Amino acid sequence: MREKIKEQIDLLKAKGAHYVDARWYPREDSNFLFMWNGNLKENNASSQSGMGVRVLYNGAWGFSASSDLTNPNAIFDRAFDNARIAAERVTFPIRLAEKEAITGSFTSPNQVDPFTVGLDQKVAFLQKMDAALNQTGVIQRFGMLEFVRKQIIFLDSEGSEIEKNIIEVFASIHAVGIDKDGGMQRRKYSPGRTGPTRGWESINETDFLANAERIVSELNQVLVAEDAPNGKMSVILLNGIMFLQTHETIGHALELDRILGYELSFAGGSFVRLEDFGKLRYGSEKLTARANALEPNSPGSFGFDDDGVPAQDNLLIDKGILVGAITGRQMVEEANAKAKKQIFEGSSGANRATSFYRVPIERMTNINIDPGTDGSLEDIIANTKYGVVLDGDKSWSIGSNREQFHFACDIGWLVEDGQKKQVVKNPTYRGETLPFYNSLSAVGDESTWNVHYVENCGKGAPNQIMQLGHGVPVCRFDNVQVGE
Amino acid sequence: MSNQVIDLLQRLRQTALNKGLQALITYHEEDSYLMRFANSAISLNTNEHLISLDYIAFDGRKKVSYSMIADPTDFESMEKGLDILAEMLPHAQALSYDPTFPVYAKDVLDERAFDPALAALTNEERLAYFNTLAGSLESDDVKLSGIFSNGTTTTAQISTANEHVQYFRSTDAQVTAVLSSESLKWEVNAEQSAQKKSDLDAEGLHADLALLVKHYQEDEAVQLPVGKYTVVLGPAATAELGNIMTYYGMTGGALMQGYSFLKEEDQGKLLFSEKIHLVDDPREVEIYAQNADRFGLERKPFPLISEGRFQAFMWDQDSADEFGKTPTGHDVSHTSLVMDGGEKSVASLKDLLEMDRDEDILYVPYIHYMNVVNPTQGMVTGSSRFGALYLKKDGSVQVPYNVRLTQRFSDFFGERVQWMSKEQVAYNVSSSYGRRDPTALKVPRFICVKEIEISHSNPSY
Repeated sequence: MREKIKEQIDLLKAKGAHYVDARWYPREDSNFLFMWNGNLKENNASSQSGMGVRVLYNGAWGFSASSDLTNPNAIFDRAFDNARIAAERVTFPIRLAEKEAITGSFTSPNQVDPFTVGLDQKVAFLQKMDAALNQTGVIQRFGMLEFVRKQIIFLDSEGSEIEKNIIEVFASIHAVGIDKDGGMQRRKYSPGRTGPTRGWESINETDFLANAERIVSELNQVLVAEDAPNGKMSVILLNGIMFLQTHETIGHALELDRILGYELSFAGGSFVRLEDFGKLRYGSEKLTARANALEPNSPGSFGFDDDGVPAQDNLLIDKGILVGAITGRQMVEEANAKAKKQIFEGSSGANRATSFYRVPIERMTNINIDPGTDGSLEDIIANTKYGVVLDGDKSWSIGSNREQFHFACDIGWLVEDGQKKQVVKNPTYRGETLPFYNSLSAVGDESTWNVHYVENCGKGAPNQIMQLGHGVPVCRFDNVQVGE
Repeated sequence: MSNQVIDLLQRLRQTALNKGLQALITYHEEDSYLMRFANSAISLNTNEHLISLDYIAFDGRKKVSYSMIADPTDFESMEKGLDILAEMLPHAQALSYDPTFPVYAKDVLDERAFDPALAALTNEERLAYFNTLAGSLESDDVKLSGIFSNGTTTTAQISTANEHVQYFRSTDAQVTAVLSSESLKWEVNAEQSAQKKSDLDAEGLHADLALLVKHYQEDEAVQLPVGKYTVVLGPAATAELGNIMTYYGMTGGALMQGYSFLKEEDQGKLLFSEKIHLVDDPREVEIYAQNADRFGLERKPFPLISEGRFQAFMWDQDSADEFGKTPTGHDVSHTSLVMDGGEKSVASLKDLLEMDRDEDILYVPYIHYMNVVNPTQGMVTGSSRFGALYLKKDGSVQVPYNVRLTQRFSDFFGERVQWMSKEQVAYNVSSSYGRRDPTALKVPRFICVKEIEISHSNPSY
């Protein structure tokens, strides 16, 4: 197949294509198990294979994909035809940033391939979790396991040939109860990624059982708690909500395709403008954020993106100042041209597609916040006059330019005069992105930092789901509107 | 009906029987086309032709499934999928209830929503449509974005119980056109849902866009004070609210999981405005209705809200099996929700702008990034987007910066409803995250609701 692909790439180049690439997925397997109140409701295996072809012709993209590989020439021809019609309406001819032609491979680090683990063992794990959650106060219990294994062969007209073999493991448990006022409440647990690998071994049964006890205990406290207060106060965001805050208001806001207006008909734009790079005070000096696709244990690390650019670790925000973005080859060229200066030195290697039948777009890698110097969670609480500690991503809604947001959390703990007090229920908070990050007053140290994965980030038209990660510490923000 | 598809299903059925499997086999084929615009150019032109197969095997209380995106010429791989299913089945855990195995009583053929002309739409026609709707509205500052997505979806099902086949085919199109100011960052849009080629109306979208662009370029932009407003919802806002409300509130599964804001004893109670009638109506071809569900149940009009009274929960087969309920024909990939029109003839944005008003009105055409803050209370939040207008009592119009609304479903569709348009429109809510599944609602063109709270107001675009 590789030779056939190379032949077709050469043929389209001869026909006038400026650039051609193909992503051939010989096989992608997944396995999903979902247990609800002891019943194994989903026990699904799936597989797919196919090819997606991208053609750049006269400054415009055409793409085609099919699961029918008996005649791969047809996919190339359709992609070329699609590019030809797209070239009839071009305002800024697409150019691609320079890159090296790479022959390479990437295998995600794992000790145990989850597809070699028997179904009995996976079901037994869920049964143990179900039993652990089956306690007083819990009316609904969920356990989920998802495994993905994919092989991707990338070839392009610039001479790159890359093979990726990636395994991902996602696991979570959830407990639901009804509070004293009749409201549904929940706590959930999905482990932070602490080890060097991301295979079946990343599911630590002992850790899950301990956390099952913890979330049931916390749920029962929520069930009898009063509502969170309403008003301006400090919020201390634990990893279970800080990852999402980072995701929604740093990650998406700094995707260069959004900044350049390529997502306006669906996901939205960004409040960030090209002239902001190097100048905009995004947050307080305590905020340093980066796109680090080199974390070993996260789905946001993939070796090479779908432009064939090596994964990287790049600063986005340096001590509060905006310095970088999440970029691919096309967008950096356009941004530099529109800004009439070189903002970006090259692609940051963040152009990814969810499957063979979708085109790559700018996606988050691991959008991390560096640990700070404000000590442990206990230290931060001890230095807080009045506020609330928040955890759990119950609900999130963000403005179309990522300029403002509203989050609801699963649980809160009041903090008064440096003391962690009682649990409160139904906590929400909202704010405007820039004032919020400029109110960042404490960043926890390494002891508070871990990588939290996101398995369902949606973006793009046609829509794409992507997996990625966020390494975040505990953070405190002051003067935040809580309630509503 | 495609004989090739039927033949494939019959062959797979026989293979499953030969392997001793009791199985449901589902075929899904999509032929999808999407032309995407950004910065007044075609930013992507794509098509995908994908065939998927879903197998579910049953063995008493055990149930396992296997899905594949298949090469239609590779029967060996399809057969291997059945082998994998057979390997999984002994390791499955028995359910605590008896799952229903589908036994089709007859063949079902439903191609009412298929239009050969829309299926054959060309790249040139998609581009011409967008050129027409944009007209002369673009400039150095005002840029066109959008998508023209259309396709054909074929689904077919067979079970090993007998040779009956269910076959559905539909065509759909979803158009979103956005004009935005590069310097000021405002954005307005116009959208269209189509089931057949003759539904496409580029001139109509152009007229809506021209009107909105005129207001956004000429009228004063304002930051509205937070507080309560009389709000007119456009079809996008109404459809998204209606869709989320029924998904979270009116399914048996949501009820049993504790996510619904409704309770079993709410059936028959007056919980919404008496003006609200909401029905899942499989007769509505315009919104891609299907006449049978996956378990072979004939789908009939299913009232959810009648004169403000909540009627009943929708029960899919699995939830019905588990909780001892009667399935209601809702084992479908999408419902076909229809909200009846009201008493007032307000058929267009122009009509809305020209109608007499005795109070200030905030027009919210679209609610961006809606999410459920508190499921038990039915509370949602989201922000206005894409062409909100503030219609002043004195007849003038201002352009409000985007605002956040955090309210309950019962606030939007309860006693605060003032009036509803007689005229209805189909609004396409399809996502393309997974396989193609055309989904739309038919809703009143406008719904006016008083005392809707704005909890946050942006200081700029």
